[in-house]
Amino acid sequence: MKRTRLFWLVALLAVLALALSACAQGQQGAQPAPAQEEQPAEQAAEQPAQEAAEPPAAEEAAPAQEPGATVYKIGVVVAITGPGSGLGVPERNTAAMIAAQLEEQGGVTGPDGVVHPVEVIILDSESNPDTAAAAASRLINEEQVDVLVAGTLSGNSLAMVPLATEAGVPMISMASAQSIIVDPDTGETREWIFKTPQTNEHSARWQAEYLQNLGITQVCHLYENSGYGQDTLNQATQVFGEFGIEIVYSDTFERKDTEFPQVVSVQGAGCEAVVVGAIPPGASMVTAAIKDAMPDMLVIHGHGVCNKQFIDLAPDAVEGTVLPCGKLLVAEQLPEEDPQKPVLLQYIQDYTAFTDGEPVSTFGGHAWDAMMWSVEALASLEEGMDLAARRAAVRDYIENSIQDWPGISGIFTITPEDHLGLDYKALVMTRIQDGWYTYYGPELWE
Amino acid sequence: MSVDAEVQQFLRKRRPAHQARGQQIAWAGVTLALLAAILYLGSQKNFGPLQYAQLVLDGLRGGTIYALIALGFVTVFNVTGIINFAQGGFVMLGAMLAVTINDWGALAQWSPGPRLAAAVLAAVLATTLIGVLVERLTIYPARNAEPLTLIIITVGVYIVMQGVALIVWGTDAYSLPAFTTLAMRDRTFRLGTVIVKAQSFWIWGVTGVTMAVLYYFFEHTMWGRALRACSVNRLAARLMGIRPDRMSMLAFGLAAAMGAIGGIVLAPATRPVYDMGLSLGLKGFVAAIMGGLVNPPAAVVGGILLGIIENVGAGVTRAGIKDIFSFIILIWVLLFRPQGLFGRQQTVEKV
Repeated sequence: MKRTRLFWLVALLAVLALALSACAQGQQGAQPAPAQEEQPAEQAAEQPAQEAAEPPAAEEAAPAQEPGATVYKIGVVVAITGPGSGLGVPERNTAAMIAAQLEEQGGVTGPDGVVHPVEVIILDSESNPDTAAAAASRLINEEQVDVLVAGTLSGNSLAMVPLATEAGVPMISMASAQSIIVDPDTGETREWIFKTPQTNEHSARWQAEYLQNLGITQVCHLYENSGYGQDTLNQATQVFGEFGIEIVYSDTFERKDTEFPQVVSVQGAGCEAVVVGAIPPGASMVTAAIKDAMPDMLVIHGHGVCNKQFIDLAPDAVEGTVLPCGKLLVAEQLPEEDPQKPVLLQYIQDYTAFTDGEPVSTFGGHAWDAMMWSVEALASLEEGMDLAARRAAVRDYIENSIQDWPGISGIFTITPEDHLGLDYKALVMTRIQDGWYTYYGPELWE
Repeated sequence: MSVDAEVQQFLRKRRPAHQARGQQIAWAGVTLALLAAILYLGSQKNFGPLQYAQLVLDGLRGGTIYALIALGFVTVFNVTGIINFAQGGFVMLGAMLAVTINDWGALAQWSPGPRLAAAVLAAVLATTLIGVLVERLTIYPARNAEPLTLIIITVGVYIVMQGVALIVWGTDAYSLPAFTTLAMRDRTFRLGTVIVKAQSFWIWGVTGVTMAVLYYFFEHTMWGRALRACSVNRLAARLMGIRPDRMSMLAFGLAAAMGAIGGIVLAPATRPVYDMGLSLGLKGFVAAIMGGLVNPPAAVVGGILLGIIENVGAGVTRAGIKDIFSFIILIWVLLFRPQGLFGRQQTVEKV
């Protein structure tokens, strides 16, 4: 009896899986992404596998021109699967791309002229803090990496922070929360932790400047019921206050909401613009609801919606929306004198070539910055340092030598107090025009 | 008139008149107090009649979907005695399958209208089939188990559905064109600041037609009568030659179809995602409980009431606490009116 029951359960699963994967097949025509994406995944997965097969022999087997040179290791933990995969996959691709470039060059050349092969080990956090922590601990203790490029999501990054701190390994996160680099209890900058993405404070500053330019002093703020959304409100309250802009009404909404009673309240609140702090799909839906009820209302978003899905889900409603975004999306339209422009264009070219035409995303850009800091720091090391010394030297290099450094997410100037090193100019104002992001800097404002 | 109804009538006669009147006064008092609270909170937010109208209309739209989902709960519960928590999964599957079939490359050269119609039909049929399979593969093998075991099985089925949907569709939200314009942008009707989308009329119309068809099915067809017989008395139905396990399968199929229809008509007004089923399923469950879990028309009224209460409540207070209203209602009904809000009027409303 029990066995038949089990059989039926297994059969159900099989039938469901088959039926649904058949449907998914049909979908791939519309979205040519997944099949190609898998390629770098396999490459990435092979690397740790090879490593595991011959761990002690790694140094001898290094394909360097100069035998005996230390092999440097960069450990990468990103969310390749799970809810964060939309962010983690471009990060994984970027890391794999840089690994391939390093292999081609034979590694990094130290100040003493010794060429060191660099090994990039990419592990999947499955968007899960526990898995992320386990991966980080494996990279720190077993793989003995020199630097960690770790954390697609804020929660995952925070789970790895104590491990990296305790082991004395520099860690660069690609997630947004400020608490990753600053201990919220003590207000002190975490010694070993850095991050690359812009913050909500930068977004809020641009929004405030734009609103001030239009002479708007009363706004409504609608935000998604999430850590990100809450942070947008906190930052907006603080920054808008400096500009004399008052938030007369604020409320939350859920990612999957179908009705938006908030919009009715907006009508009654008498604000001149609505600032939204959310990511798609909620961000698209709330914009559509506002525009349906009040077609002339000005809607301003944060940099959480700088991706194609935001437009795809409500193309008519989001047209004309003004929002700060990383420069990557509008790289071609930037002024020629922008020091980031060549970096951005090169990255776009490399990335699309490496992934066979995948569109770039700002998340991959965060990974590029983190990887390149690591590579540059490793290139500064003298031959013959032991692991702990190398880790400390990498940390010191990032803290002291990443100065006026044009990356993808901005021009970084790291200091011992500021482990992000960006100001709000790292973002640019954009406007959605004809279904895509267009550069909309202050010189274009009326 | 059934025996049950006669007993109810007898009980009503036995209740002392002053007690009934006292209860009525208490009810009226509570209702008035709530209305006053709503008006006071609304005045704080400068709400006029147009704002209330908008909140009620939006709530009516959401409530209609809850009603459709609640009907699925009631159908399954009546026949099998199980609360089918996989109901939300059927809603999600209906919406997701419709989107996928509509975007299917093989149908790309079809004109948008027929393609959407075909996608909707195919999605409803496929979900119905999945509902039947779920019953056959998970409920039927365990048919001799306690109802609680079966309910837990349905929870498991929902988790499997959502997990499979996550693998197949990922975390992205998808979109289905509006039925009227066959485009992402729907036509809107305006009256002052009050707006109604054309899709809302589709939601009301399709739900109305579905209910009419269900009514005809239960009242005037052999299978429908067999289903009802099963819900009244399983053993007696069996003695009359009705196979309760077949009826259980039919009930799951019907419930899945209703869930799928709900998900599909809702899809253009929202953006389906893999985990949309959970909250919709729970709201449908609350609506069914409001209706006493056995009475289809009461479940419909429950769903519509829930939608309106939720939306007006969220509108005058904070939208962030929207879900609180439905769960307060759930606990209140379970504690004080387990027979449903309209339990006493069952004989009048029963179809």
